[in-house]
Amino acid sequence: MNLVQAAPTLLGKIAFMVLAAGAVAGALLTITRKSAVVALMSLIGTFCATAGLYATLSAHFLAVLQVLVYAGAIMVLFIFAVMIVSRDEEHPIALRGVFVRSAAVLAIGYLFYRIAWLVARERTSYVLAVASTPPIPDFGNAGSIGRLLFSDFLFPFEAISLLLLTAVVGGVLLARPPRGHGQRGPA
Amino acid sequence: MPSYAYILVSLVLFFLGTTGVLMRRNALFVLMSIELQLGAGSLALLAFARALGDQRGHVVAFFIMAMAAAEAAIGLAIVVAVYRTRKKIDLATIDELRG
Repeated sequence: MNLVQAAPTLLGKIAFMVLAAGAVAGALLTITRKSAVVALMSLIGTFCATAGLYATLSAHFLAVLQVLVYAGAIMVLFIFAVMIVSRDEEHPIALRGVFVRSAAVLAIGYLFYRIAWLVARERTSYVLAVASTPPIPDFGNAGSIGRLLFSDFLFPFEAISLLLLTAVVGGVLLARPPRGHGQRGPA
Repeated sequence: MPSYAYILVSLVLFFLGTTGVLMRRNALFVLMSIELQLGAGSLALLAFARALGDQRGHVVAFFIMAMAAAEAAIGLAIVVAVYRTRKKIDLATIDELRG
């Protein structure tokens, strides 16, 4: 197999490190902050850093979509939900007691350690070692992805549009106040 | 960068998301953590797509993005509906459906 081992440039290394550190730091802030607004802003930072990582993988179309859809549309939805239900909680962590919490952290950490160890062990295998396969023209731009979407993936594409329509109607139905809510006088 | 670096970043993000899902009590934070997990999965897909030179991974990541939008819409609608009837969204105290 013709394996092209393009050595990463210094600039590429620095970009990867900065983006990866930004994504992880944002994720850490998201799951530890008490205030929902601060957590949301860190989540937006994580998504922007992830979009940068997509761009370094030459997935340019997905990088733009990540910023538009995730950091834009979905986060606006979250901000509206935070506006409606915003209240800071006294006990943000679900598990009570130092022992139970440390056991949970240990269990998650051990699972992570095992999988990361597996990846590190297999890092010389074919898929994990390559920086990139020989460059394909138009790899990851809107045109080639669109051609794939409307040929091989036409049925899933139409199915996902039906899913989105269902989600919109269901969301309106669920979040709407009960019928006649506005007319009723004070109970 | 070799793709195992991307896979490791994706693993870290996914496990941070898992920690958030398991340990937070506020339903909003749990939904945010689920978004983190979905983003980590997309990152792994794109890393493998680049390594194999196969754009079908990009298409699947695109579908994940659409699914995440649907999930956020429904999940947040449920959170708002629960808040409207219960005045709180603490997952530890919402147990009406418990048998």
